[in-house]
Amino acid sequence: MMRRVLWLETEHPMQLVLGLTIWSLWFVTAYGGLSVVCALAPPAPEQGALTGINLVLGGLTLVTLGFLAWMTQRCMAAARRKRGRLRYMSALAGGLYLFSTVSVAFVGLPLLMLPPCL
Amino acid sequence: MSDTQAPGKHERSESAQLHRELEVVWRNPRGWRALTVVNHSTLGLRFMATGLAFFLIGGVLAMLIRAQLALPSQAFMTPDIYHQITTMHGTVMMFLFAIPVLEGLAIYLIPKMLGTRDLLCPRLTAFGYWCYLFGGIILLSSMALEMAPDSGWFMYTPLSSGEYSPGKGSDFWLLGITFVEISALSAGVELTVSILRTRADGMALHRMPLFAWYILVMALMIVVGFPPLIFGSVLLELERAAGMPFFIVEQGGDPILWQHLFWLFGHPEVYIIFLPAAGIVSTLLPVFARRPIVGYGWAVAAVIITGFISFGLWVHHMFTVGIPHLAQAFFSAASMLVAVPTAIQVFVWLATLWLGRPRMSLPMLWILGFLVIFVCGGLTGVMLALVPFDWQVHDTHFVVAHMHYVLVGGMFFPLMAGFVYWLPLVSGRMPSERLGRLGFWLTFLGFNLTFLIMHWTGLLGMPRRVYTYDSAMGWDIYNLISSVGGFMLSAGIAMVLLDLALHWRFGRPAPPNPWGADTLEWGLSMPPAPYNFASLPTIKSRHPLWDNPALGDEMARGEHALADASHGRREILGGEVLTGRVRERIHIPSNSWWPLFAALVLAVVCISLLVRLYPLALGAFLVAVAMLLRWAWENGGHPIAAPLGDDEPTSPPLHSRTRGGPARFTMGVSLIADGAFFHSLLFGWFYLWSVSPQWQLPEQSPLDPMLLIGAGIAFALGMLWLERRLRRLYAGDETRLALAFYLIAALGGLHVLLLVALLWQADLAPTDNAHDAVLVVSLAYLLVHGLLATLLMALQGRRAALGYVGVRLPMEPGVVALFWRYQLGIYAILAVSLGVLPRVIGGGA
Amino acid sequence: MLDPSGPAARDIAFVWWGMLTFFTLVFGVVVALWLAAFRRHEHRERSEGEVRRLSRRWIIGGGLLLPGVTILVLLVFGVPVGQRMLTLPLPGGEDPRVIEVIGHQWWWEVRYPDTGDGEVVTANQLVMPVGEPVDFHVSAGDVIHAFWIPRLGGKIDMLPGRVNRIRLQADQPGVFGGQCAEFCGTQHAHMKLYVEAMPPADFDTWLSARQAPANVGDDEQHQVAREAFAQHCAQCHRVAGVSQATVGPDLSDVGSRPTLGAGVMAMEDGAIARWLAVHQRLKPGNLMPVHDQLDAETLEDLGNWLETLNP
Repeated sequence: MMRRVLWLETEHPMQLVLGLTIWSLWFVTAYGGLSVVCALAPPAPEQGALTGINLVLGGLTLVTLGFLAWMTQRCMAAARRKRGRLRYMSALAGGLYLFSTVSVAFVGLPLLMLPPCL
Repeated sequence: MSDTQAPGKHERSESAQLHRELEVVWRNPRGWRALTVVNHSTLGLRFMATGLAFFLIGGVLAMLIRAQLALPSQAFMTPDIYHQITTMHGTVMMFLFAIPVLEGLAIYLIPKMLGTRDLLCPRLTAFGYWCYLFGGIILLSSMALEMAPDSGWFMYTPLSSGEYSPGKGSDFWLLGITFVEISALSAGVELTVSILRTRADGMALHRMPLFAWYILVMALMIVVGFPPLIFGSVLLELERAAGMPFFIVEQGGDPILWQHLFWLFGHPEVYIIFLPAAGIVSTLLPVFARRPIVGYGWAVAAVIITGFISFGLWVHHMFTVGIPHLAQAFFSAASMLVAVPTAIQVFVWLATLWLGRPRMSLPMLWILGFLVIFVCGGLTGVMLALVPFDWQVHDTHFVVAHMHYVLVGGMFFPLMAGFVYWLPLVSGRMPSERLGRLGFWLTFLGFNLTFLIMHWTGLLGMPRRVYTYDSAMGWDIYNLISSVGGFMLSAGIAMVLLDLALHWRFGRPAPPNPWGADTLEWGLSMPPAPYNFASLPTIKSRHPLWDNPALGDEMARGEHALADASHGRREILGGEVLTGRVRERIHIPSNSWWPLFAALVLAVVCISLLVRLYPLALGAFLVAVAMLLRWAWENGGHPIAAPLGDDEPTSPPLHSRTRGGPARFTMGVSLIADGAFFHSLLFGWFYLWSVSPQWQLPEQSPLDPMLLIGAGIAFALGMLWLERRLRRLYAGDETRLALAFYLIAALGGLHVLLLVALLWQADLAPTDNAHDAVLVVSLAYLLVHGLLATLLMALQGRRAALGYVGVRLPMEPGVVALFWRYQLGIYAILAVSLGVLPRVIGGGA
Repeated sequence: MLDPSGPAARDIAFVWWGMLTFFTLVFGVVVALWLAAFRRHEHRERSEGEVRRLSRRWIIGGGLLLPGVTILVLLVFGVPVGQRMLTLPLPGGEDPRVIEVIGHQWWWEVRYPDTGDGEVVTANQLVMPVGEPVDFHVSAGDVIHAFWIPRLGGKIDMLPGRVNRIRLQADQPGVFGGQCAEFCGTQHAHMKLYVEAMPPADFDTWLSARQAPANVGDDEQHQVAREAFAQHCAQCHRVAGVSQATVGPDLSDVGSRPTLGAGVMAMEDGAIARWLAVHQRLKPGNLMPVHDQLDAETLEDLGNWLETLNP
């Protein structure tokens, strides 16, 4: 039987910071990865926005988006089920996950439009 | 204690007796001994008064700037003096006014709002205050000596480095600011833990006053945001004093690293200033709208989001340094995103007003002023987040105008609202409406006259930080208007301060809860007693005073918890983080000389570094460490704190009789700050490695792998042993505890010795190239932590031998174990980053 | 900046006016709503559900949708504006002209690489052709400066040890001011760049005049001045054909420059001699030592000779 992992519960305070922490990690990875690639092996500017680094970072963005969206859905569903403090914490966590999801999508948008290293 | 009968004579004398007892335990001494005070109300007020004094100095500097720029080609000041004054204006306002005043307000209010008697670490509050005061005085003394820093408040290298600023100015800045930041960090740690762990019984997170949420996020942001700047300052000072070339391109460093570290702190700092101010708005507005805030959850979410997103914006201060456009777009998008939580708050406030029955009064006027100015500043902020527009107006007066709109509008106006609002609590008297209104309008109009027009001056191309300009540029009239407005603004502020001063004598006495507020601080006597509450309430909703207007009297009569001080301890309640349910009785230390002495000795360290008397600095530093350890010695079961007795309270128990309690939290939050410092170090290493143009990685890593592994193993063994011994202690076995602790400490000592050998054998040339300099700093960081871990463990052995640690007093070794885990973690990470990765990826260019 | 003369600056100015209009509107509406909320009074009691609905409407509408849509529009339309200033390959495949600019405390070094025989070097003046994109490769010799010609486009930092690139274009001939935009020390205020855009033909003439072998005069008249220069100035300044030092500004064509001291004073007869005599008063703290050891006559000779350096 699977043991219940306490901090994965939707009302755990961890959920209040996890979503935005994931956003931060994604952000740092995207910025750091881009900087390192541009410093070491910049792709030719002729390629436009369709370079390896854009694709890799885009893929990472999609994975992150997927996870955050799933957590949003979990927390929102839990918020509808629960009452009182548990409901409050789940709803708050859900809102924060939702914002993180949108943030990843929004900040990741330029990956589609811009060449990486100029 | 609680008596349900109508208050009779007997009961009144009983409550008087309680207040007398509490007074004896919590009293602030007078005369010289007032320097030993650790009480949060006194220290909060000291913070605010000192901050206002620095504010006046910063304001005079601002007026000098406006006087110089009022007319073209003025010779009022020489350029060197002008640059000193602009640098100091920014520095004083940011570091010596804005942050400390808000910390002071939080220190003063948070325990009162949370329904407790003091912050968790009172001596730390006092220590923070003294560090702030001494650091501020050292920084300002540079102006009296005419050697103030003059490289701008952001201290960009290489302009601020030894070659281009050979004077002492930059040293004053780096050392003074680092000293002041110790104070910010200690306030950050202490506020975080106090908010999480010392709330009134039943005050679950979702019943906490919104102000506490804002301060919680602010405090955590300080904890994470300040270490990068401290780290940067340490590096720059090492470069200036010891010649380690972290920021010098020719030797493998990179000046842009400074900008990253500075803004990694600098941008969150803007929100560190804004959030508490917004917290004031969120507290006052519902009171004057006469209804609970609408969308409490939305506001909390907005605050948390702001706290996070603000760490993803720092590069928007660096859009012109030539980083890839795509990376700029990330930061541009993140910078725009921060508009969302801010807009949520603005509309939460609007909805509250809309659905309430608002009434006008002086604090509300300041809030309206805040709204107008802040919304305007926020909108120009969104404009600036757009990269191409920023390229055009970056470093022009447009940015100066934007920044003052955000900072003055977003911080000063709410602060004034808060001052007026909480004044009756502090003094028992009401401020004057008429003088206050006049002051407000002068300030508001003067501010807009100064800075609205300044946007335009910037758009016309006037750059920042020029000490003069040519009439041919066509900026004359706009600058003159700004200067006139600036003087009007100062007249307004003078009037406001006059009102504050006069009210102390002429204000009419305030009735209880004069504004009809809902939060606990208004249930106190005005001014509050040093112990705040004679008994600590149980909370069932977000609006305790609206639910039960008589709560204040009940608490004063001692009808609630902890209404007993006959034991002579300063006691508060510790609760669960989430629910606020009581877990333990926390006994906190009383007045002490140690904070003042330790800060004084640190001031000696600071000054001897300035005049480059390194042996004296080292000696004073060791004395300071000894004092801090001595201070920590008087804890837990020590006779001065709470020695073991036969009639120990059991439900709830004293916190030093539990396995960690709030002390673990304090250590944990401190380690978060330390971890932020460590991450800056790691960032510096990888940044220089990957980006610095002339970085040289040696062919072969200079670190000996055997020593590297050996030091790690020694420490890991100590760690494992400590964990096992702790489990046995918790199981009730304290045989030969002291011996075990001493032996574990010896393993720590071996770790330190091997580290010294590693450093010795590596034969580094830190003044030669940045690579070796970073290696030395990293190893020194490990060494300091290793030494501290060893020392703390050895002291635990001594305490176990003396009976301050044992089965009945199991708290402390668990706290030390946290520090050991931290050291093991960073050791592993650094060993991989410095020792293994260069071998794997390879040296060369 | 509000009087754009190049495509990049024009786009930015357009974006600015657009943002100004829309944000003024937003600002007005928000403030008006707040004031309205103050004036109105909630008389009837609302049910909890009603309050919840109303507040959601406010918060979601104003707090989420309004800023959300605004920043999305800004990001999608605003970011491409910056593309113009990137040094992307030109559609025709040819390489744009490159001008190197190097910032010093407190003057500008301007170099035209790849111009036939050896490069052309000048200082504190930048001449560029009209109607074609020019790539500026900028860096710094000491501290960080920033390169900014407000009427042509955005700014870019000049860093020691790195080269940054920005593409600008002037649409019509004219004189534009340039200015150091990153605080760089005492005389940051007096670090101005005289920028002139001229038709390509004139530009080529200007450039080739500076490629011709230097004419430093061999007449008797300036013999004293040349000797004084060799003795007192040549350690820092270069004059093609006379000295090679690069500490201070290159003076090879100083006589043809419109300003002196990076924009401190206009060039006219006798200006150089005056500058040499009192430059520390005109530009306090500049890095050229005072010339007290030279008498006024020598300074005048020097000034007269330098003014003849006009290819």
